[in-house]
Amino acid sequence: MDEYIPTERGAGWSQDQRAELWLVCIVVGLLIAMLVFVLHAAWPSFSHNGLGWFGTGGRVDGQIQAIFTSGDLKSTPLYVFHAWPLIWSTALITGVAVVIAFGSSLFVAVFIVEFAPDWLRGVLEPVVRLLASVPSVIYGLLGVLILVPLIGNHLITQQEKASVNPTVQLSGYGLLAAILVLTIMVAPIMIAVFVNGLRAVPRNWIEGSLALGINRWRTFWMVAVRTARPALVAGTVLATARALGESVMLSMLSGGVGFAPNPADGLIFLFEPSRGLASTILFNTDELSSPPMQHTLYAIAAVLLFSAVMLSFAGWAAKQPMKRYGVIA
Amino acid sequence: MRSSKKVLAALTAVVVVLGAPAAAIARTTIFGSGSSAEQPILNLLFKAYSKLHKNIAFAYNPDGGNAGVKDVQKGRSALAVNTRPPLPSDSGTTQFKIFLDGLCVAVNPANSLGNLTISQTKNIFLGLTTAWNSVGGSNLSATIDPIGRNSTAGSYTFFQSAVLGGKTQASNVNPQTSDGLVATAIKNDSNAIGYVGLAHSQPGSGVKTVSLNGVACNQTTIKRETYPLFRYIWAVVPTAHPSVPVEKFIDWVRVNHQAGLIISRAGAVPAFNK
Amino acid sequence: MGGEAADEALRGDRVSVTVSPAPPRPLGRVPTRRPESSASWRLSDRIGLAVAWALGLFFCALTAAIVIYLLVQGLRYVSPHLFVTHPTAGFSETQTGGFLDPLIGTGIVALIAMGIALPVGTAIAVWLSEFGRPAPLARVAEATVEMLAGAPSIVLALFGALIFESPLLGFLSQQTNHVVLGRSFFAAGAMLSLVALPLVVTNVREGLQAIPSHVREASYAVGKSKVATTRRVLLPAARPSVVTGAMLGLGRVIGDTAIVLVLLGATLNLQGAGGPAILSTLRGQGSTMTSYIYENAPTGEGNQPTKAYAAAFVLLMIVLALNVLVDLAGRRARELRWS
Repeated sequence: MDEYIPTERGAGWSQDQRAELWLVCIVVGLLIAMLVFVLHAAWPSFSHNGLGWFGTGGRVDGQIQAIFTSGDLKSTPLYVFHAWPLIWSTALITGVAVVIAFGSSLFVAVFIVEFAPDWLRGVLEPVVRLLASVPSVIYGLLGVLILVPLIGNHLITQQEKASVNPTVQLSGYGLLAAILVLTIMVAPIMIAVFVNGLRAVPRNWIEGSLALGINRWRTFWMVAVRTARPALVAGTVLATARALGESVMLSMLSGGVGFAPNPADGLIFLFEPSRGLASTILFNTDELSSPPMQHTLYAIAAVLLFSAVMLSFAGWAAKQPMKRYGVIA
Repeated sequence: MRSSKKVLAALTAVVVVLGAPAAAIARTTIFGSGSSAEQPILNLLFKAYSKLHKNIAFAYNPDGGNAGVKDVQKGRSALAVNTRPPLPSDSGTTQFKIFLDGLCVAVNPANSLGNLTISQTKNIFLGLTTAWNSVGGSNLSATIDPIGRNSTAGSYTFFQSAVLGGKTQASNVNPQTSDGLVATAIKNDSNAIGYVGLAHSQPGSGVKTVSLNGVACNQTTIKRETYPLFRYIWAVVPTAHPSVPVEKFIDWVRVNHQAGLIISRAGAVPAFNK
Repeated sequence: MGGEAADEALRGDRVSVTVSPAPPRPLGRVPTRRPESSASWRLSDRIGLAVAWALGLFFCALTAAIVIYLLVQGLRYVSPHLFVTHPTAGFSETQTGGFLDPLIGTGIVALIAMGIALPVGTAIAVWLSEFGRPAPLARVAEATVEMLAGAPSIVLALFGALIFESPLLGFLSQQTNHVVLGRSFFAAGAMLSLVALPLVVTNVREGLQAIPSHVREASYAVGKSKVATTRRVLLPAARPSVVTGAMLGLGRVIGDTAIVLVLLGATLNLQGAGGPAILSTLRGQGSTMTSYIYENAPTGEGNQPTKAYAAAFVLLMIVLALNVLVDLAGRRARELRWS
């Protein structure tokens, strides 16, 4: 089945198309250059630390300071860096926020598509779109001015402060504030994608199930949600990518200490401050003029970029069954 | 596509038309960077100097004193302002004392604490003293919340060498990215203690300074250099190719009486060519 | 995503699409009968429905709370003089001035970023949707755009710092003794265009794919070339999608903070880099509304919360306005739906 394109050869390959081809090549090339540049700039830090880069050892903030001050003209640069507290912080905050957001987004998406009365659907859809487009710095500002004082003054007791005292200071900036706000930030992204996926489910499949006498709630979860699974994966991937790369809001709310919150501390652990990979880059961008510090920051960026690429790959893989399903429908 | 091209063309035209006549005015811009603690004072000095010398303008990037020195070493700034004495790692730079400041130790006004010794301060910031009831003179008994600066800050390096004996501050010290933030954190937390430049502990800042080894932190004691944490603020310029306008400006700050007046009004102490 | 997949399915084989069964009736759009009440359901199902209701109402309440809170704070702290005074460093609300410079900065950054992202993104979308050969390159380009959408903006910022510091690009930022600063409106705008690009590409592409093949065939039949068809028929028809993509991209650009903080310098004022007036500003450093809010939040260097509230209010109003525009464009796109 060939498409009918009258000017495919000769005149069809006009300047316009050639220019566009070049443009595509340039953008693709730029992205590959980005990967190469970042990895190249990151290499000294990885090669000096080996796998220990991802491990624990010493205080990461002390290491960062030592790396920064070693970057002058005379002394030999230091590279010792063990990023575990930063990795743990990012994984913990992202993981918990995405899990909470996933659960609530699924319910909201199902609600919007099938169960909400028309007036409420008319309100919810623009609301979700607005929540998704509020800049992260505004979320951060609201968190700093409302949530952090609330947690710091009312939820954290003196005993709790004293119990972790010599190690870390509980001030309201910490996991709880970060996770709550991040959940609110990524949930709208998930809801939007989930809603699209659920809407694409053929109506007659659901009606078939309804005809069997299964109630609407059960039918929708058994049929529609199950069919839209690829969309659920795609939305989750998109939201996770956003959460992983979030630097600004987290640098405002998670507390600026390179500390790995310890779940063994019980519930207090939720109040403990930490600093993730992305916010560490943001915190230290003023130190880019010190060469070893520059390499270390690019190493952190490389880890983030690698995770993002892996995630988009996962998202692409998750979309493939969707395409097949689209053809069936 | 077509319309966006038109918009681009129009924009280019605007840039060309508006850009052309302004090129005639020749102005030297001095690019500086460094201490955020001293930025309010520096801004006043820049403004006064630009008024005197119409052809000089300033652009200042408050990225932290230590970062400022690195900028000068790399040639990105013609002038850096730092709040700690020169270190061996500052190679390739020449540094001048421009004025005097003190690093005040401050607590919340709700705290009755009036005096600390240097070693008491050291123990607090190393995490060895953790509760106010083990600090004499305080009416509080709760956990101490120490507030400090981050490692790009000259204040941090100064505090580290002058109080902590070169050690790194404890992990329970809450690092802030500017002196103003330290002051705010102390204002909002009755159990807090922190270190800030003199200008940030003025009346109205919501913090209370405590005496160190029995000497109060104010302009008089700093001028007499009796306050233990008095410090010179340093102007850092590249040794290899110093810029002449920058050196003239530094001389003006160091010796001129109008500059001295601005400095003392802003809450620091003029050094007058020391 | 589902819609995208359906579109792709429609497009995959333009001729066969006419013989394939009609696309499924979308769920939400048709008012559905509600023949059964939940009273007869199992308890667990009723609890589930209640949770769905509660979460739905929670999101409405949350948004209302955010908007009303910022509205109240905004009305309290926004005053006209904030829009016309420059920000200055100081210790109190009265000393620190307004947000004229950041407002201008946001405009400049948005112009540069969209000035790059809109034409480039449209061109890529046209190429992907209408030409797309050689096929491997098309697949790589698609993957690239997808990766770009997932790349953290702080990583883009660091990458920008690296490339704009190179002497080759020295003319785009301030230069002293042959050392390039690499922080300028050009640098920030260029990297921000990468943030907007995927949104433009995705939306324009979807718009083009929604145009059925008989439209193209009609144009070929009257003797127009493929390029002319694209220019004169397809792109004008897809204009609502172009607008949607542009607005969504613009929203991301003016909302981004990380790239601005890294690539626009640590100053709140517009600081020219010397040279002709406008070029000097574009090559110089500055700030945007987002970096102004960041610096004036209690966690930033400036720490003037009331200024931050005022700026956040203004920024939220801009975002709201963009949302309304997207809505209008979406409505027009739906009116134009081909069937």
